[in-house]
Amino acid sequence: MAVIEARALAKSFRIPSDRRETVREHLFNAFRPRSFERLDVLRSVSFDVRKGETLGIMGRNGSGKSTLLKILCGIYRADRGDLLVGAPLTPILELGLGWNPELDGIDNILLLGTAMGLRLREAKNAVDEILAFAGLDRFANVPLKHYSSGMASRLAYSVAFKTVREVLVLDEIFAVGDAEFRERCEARYRELSAKGHTVVLVSHDPRVISAFCSRALLLDEGRVAFEGRGGEVVDEYSRRVAMASPGPALA
Amino acid sequence: MRGSVTAAGTRVDVAGLLWTLARTDFKTRYHGTFGGFLWALLKPALMFVVLMSVFSFIFATSPNYRLNLIVGLFLWDFFAEATKTGLTSLHAKGYLLAKTRFPSWILVVASASNALLTLAVFLAIFLAYLAFAGRAPGAAAAALTLFYLVLFFAITVGISLAGSVLFLRYRDLNQVWDVAVQAGFFVAPIIYPLEILPERFHFWLYLWPPTPVIQFCRAVLVDGVLPTARANLLLAAMAAVILAVGVLVFSSQVADAAERL
Repeated sequence: MAVIEARALAKSFRIPSDRRETVREHLFNAFRPRSFERLDVLRSVSFDVRKGETLGIMGRNGSGKSTLLKILCGIYRADRGDLLVGAPLTPILELGLGWNPELDGIDNILLLGTAMGLRLREAKNAVDEILAFAGLDRFANVPLKHYSSGMASRLAYSVAFKTVREVLVLDEIFAVGDAEFRERCEARYRELSAKGHTVVLVSHDPRVISAFCSRALLLDEGRVAFEGRGGEVVDEYSRRVAMASPGPALA
Repeated sequence: MRGSVTAAGTRVDVAGLLWTLARTDFKTRYHGTFGGFLWALLKPALMFVVLMSVFSFIFATSPNYRLNLIVGLFLWDFFAEATKTGLTSLHAKGYLLAKTRFPSWILVVASASNALLTLAVFLAIFLAYLAFAGRAPGAAAAALTLFYLVLFFAITVGISLAGSVLFLRYRDLNQVWDVAVQAGFFVAPIIYPLEILPERFHFWLYLWPPTPVIQFCRAVLVDGVLPTARANLLLAAMAAVILAVGVLVFSSQVADAAERL
């Protein structure tokens, strides 16, 4: 049974020749025509995600991965195409940024936790566990502005892992923190997957895609260029990267 | 043409999120102390002292001038403060919008919490003063005051909802609104009694939403006069229209909000 059905999703961004972001600019330039450049980030993307499976998405920078995830999560709106998401979905995106720097760890956990769907009581009960998972117990009362970017990302992952509903959408997971924290994330991810959660994950890391994904897509210029088992997609990705660059294929 | 999206609902603890937003807002603004909050009450209080010292001489014939002035000032302060923070609320909390999907109107409503708290504290002090002076409002007057405040809140939320999404398009809208608010302070009869203006202008002044709210609150709290049912209905209709327009503008624009942050 498909939990996510995406049909011919398309998204482009219109980039104006001159930006008008203020009332003043709009008024003074009202009669001056401006041109737009269209950037087609997604041209037509179709796929299904079945219940309980982990679908990987690979692709070079600018291939549309992050835009696709944002559309899946309802943060961006597709221009065309149909999307059906049959179960509540937890996004874990762009975690490095996005905290209130003036608030301490606990308040930020409560804020993000309730925004991501925890009840306030649940969020309060989970604070210790979240801080422990992130390895940040000692920094609970320190304002986020004093955290390093790695610490902030770890905290975000920990909150997100706690708020998981049915479908988990992950952008570049396991790219954060030290080896120990990555290990903990992977263990937590395996636990969720074993419980039958559906996962969509984007990664550049061949190891992650082949180890975790039963199926994967390769995005190229806003289309699904290749679809297959995790290992097959990694091979295809490596082949394309090798073709595109004269140097050694993969780090 | 827009793509069609069918997504399973994401339940959010609206009350819990509102409370967390309001509490953390208070904390960042006043460093979590009540002393810091009292400091914020000083602004309208000082305004009151200065304006009263000057204008109570000019309007010496108006018996309730001081009470009217302070009611007007605090209601106005609520309106100005709530709409200004409401306007930038989505932008200010963009870090949440870019990360997850939740009903973002909550951010706009929560942004008024601080102004609401200031107004509540003022009202408590003001009512205590009235009771002390033997002028405590009756049940009908108290109920009507509450009714007006609910309408006033609806008006500010309506303006904030529309403003918050438009601000993402027009980044100087807050400056435009600042000018409007500054001019609006003099359009509303705050420092002068409405009666000094020719009656033919009154209708137009009443179209500026704070005017009827301030006038009606003064009538019930200070003068002990209850506005007519028709007047109350008109104010309710005005609040409903402003809120409805705000909701319409907001819902037509909010889907693109994360792209404009």
